[in-house]
Amino acid sequence: MQEIARGLQEAIKMLLSFDPEIYEIVGLSLRVSLSSVIISTCLGVPIGVLLGLYDFPGKRALIRTIYTLMSLPPVIAGLVVFLFIMRKGPLGFMGLSFTPTAMIVAQVCLVTPIITGLTYNIVKDKADRVRRLALTLGAGRRESVKLLIYELRVGILAAIVTGFGRAISEVGAVMLVGGNIVGKTRVMTTYIAQLQRMGNYDRAIAVGLVLLLIAFTINAILYNIQEKNA
Amino acid sequence: MKIKIENIKKTYGERTVLDIEELSVEEGSLLGVIGPNGAGKSTLLNIIAGIERQTEGKLYYGENRSETIPYREITMVFQSPYLLHTTAEKNIAYPLKLRGWQDAAINKRVEELTEELGLVRLRKQKAWTLSSGEMQKVALARALSFRPKLLLLDEPTANIDPATTGELERMMTKINEREGTTIIIITHNLSQAKRICQNTALLHNGKLVEEGPASVLLKQPKDPITQAFINGELLI
Ligand SMILES: Nc1ncnc2c1ncn2[C@@H]1O[C@H](COP(=O)(O)OP(=O)(O)OP(=O)(O)O)[C@@H](O)[C@H]1O
Ligand SMILES: [Mg+2]
Repeated sequence: MQEIARGLQEAIKMLLSFDPEIYEIVGLSLRVSLSSVIISTCLGVPIGVLLGLYDFPGKRALIRTIYTLMSLPPVIAGLVVFLFIMRKGPLGFMGLSFTPTAMIVAQVCLVTPIITGLTYNIVKDKADRVRRLALTLGAGRRESVKLLIYELRVGILAAIVTGFGRAISEVGAVMLVGGNIVGKTRVMTTYIAQLQRMGNYDRAIAVGLVLLLIAFTINAILYNIQEKNA
Repeated sequence: MKIKIENIKKTYGERTVLDIEELSVEEGSLLGVIGPNGAGKSTLLNIIAGIERQTEGKLYYGENRSETIPYREITMVFQSPYLLHTTAEKNIAYPLKLRGWQDAAINKRVEELTEELGLVRLRKQKAWTLSSGEMQKVALARALSFRPKLLLLDEPTANIDPATTGELERMMTKINEREGTTIIIITHNLSQAKRICQNTALLHNGKLVEEGPASVLLKQPKDPITQAFINGELLI
């Protein structure tokens, strides 16, 4: 109990004192996770919409694969990306190991299936009714797709939020490809893991609270957008 | 808009759910389609509206017998209407936006329709919070907004209270008479068909059993199936 109370105090102190180390770590966490969510959104939303709208051979197998990848353990994503980008790996020449770019790549691998799968589900559910309505109101092809995306905006936003939640909170992938290097690839989750190993519980709790606060704030903002547009 | 149907068939797997040799709907007429559940009434309207394809056969639209579906001029109100995830008035305005109307003109038209249908209070209400009768009315207002030449209605008063049903019937008659809109309406309410339809068609097991002036078909039907149907007997 004492540790938790002290952790809370420490967290407030750290935030108020603008401890530069913390802000750097928080900043990198946000940069990596937001970048990966933006990239995953650009990939996952169009793919999910297309999968929901069109049938083609092999689609069922593809959907199964996406569903499986939705629960891909982060360490596995991290391991695969690591094997590709390590010095002796096929993409080793790019010199990406232990960089924020590598962390973004690993998170994109984790988050894209989530956004794709969730988008596909929503589209499959509503696409036919929206298509019929669009036709009866005289909408053309492009207008129908626009209408569909408009209709699904709340659900797609929820898919993106879910993806962001996954990215900001995972530790396995960023640890393996980033390596938790001070001032370079250290993010909140890897820092918490390290602080815990070193027995520095106050600071671990403090960073944990900051992480929770950020996740809460971003979710609250998005929830608000959803409410207003719902 | 005039419609002509020739040898239309719709099959799902082995089952033929619609099989009509010939049916004409004259420009400016108001046709009632009646028949038991599963007769193929909605399927027929969906095909005319161009949202389902017939398995066989041809449909011709307008005086010059065009085979392309004039999506911009026909519309349909579904049995359970789909409203867009926004306010009632934006639903009504959507087809007008599509057609590039100016905001002022849109607003004026929405005002007209909401007044006529008693929706003024509900203009700003979110569509998903409306009662099912209100939803039906918003869907109807949306369909009427751009003054379609052909209006297809799938049980438009199924969820509507008696007084409002009367209002809507008067409105349909008015649109049909004043604006010359051709209307095809599916209804299970035979007295409604008597009140508003010029012609009636009875569908049963996907077939057109009998078609003719409502006054005749609903009072002295020739076909025994029609006789049984209007007497409220179960058809086999
Ligand atoms: N996608 C489908 N697959 C298989 N059968 C279908 C499909 N759609 C419709 N049917 C069948 O076609 C038949 C006609 O359906 P339809 O909806 O046209 O009936 P309806 O006359 O409108 O009935 P109701 O009065 O209950 O609305 C029904 O027996 C229905 O089960
Ligand atoms: Mg029906």
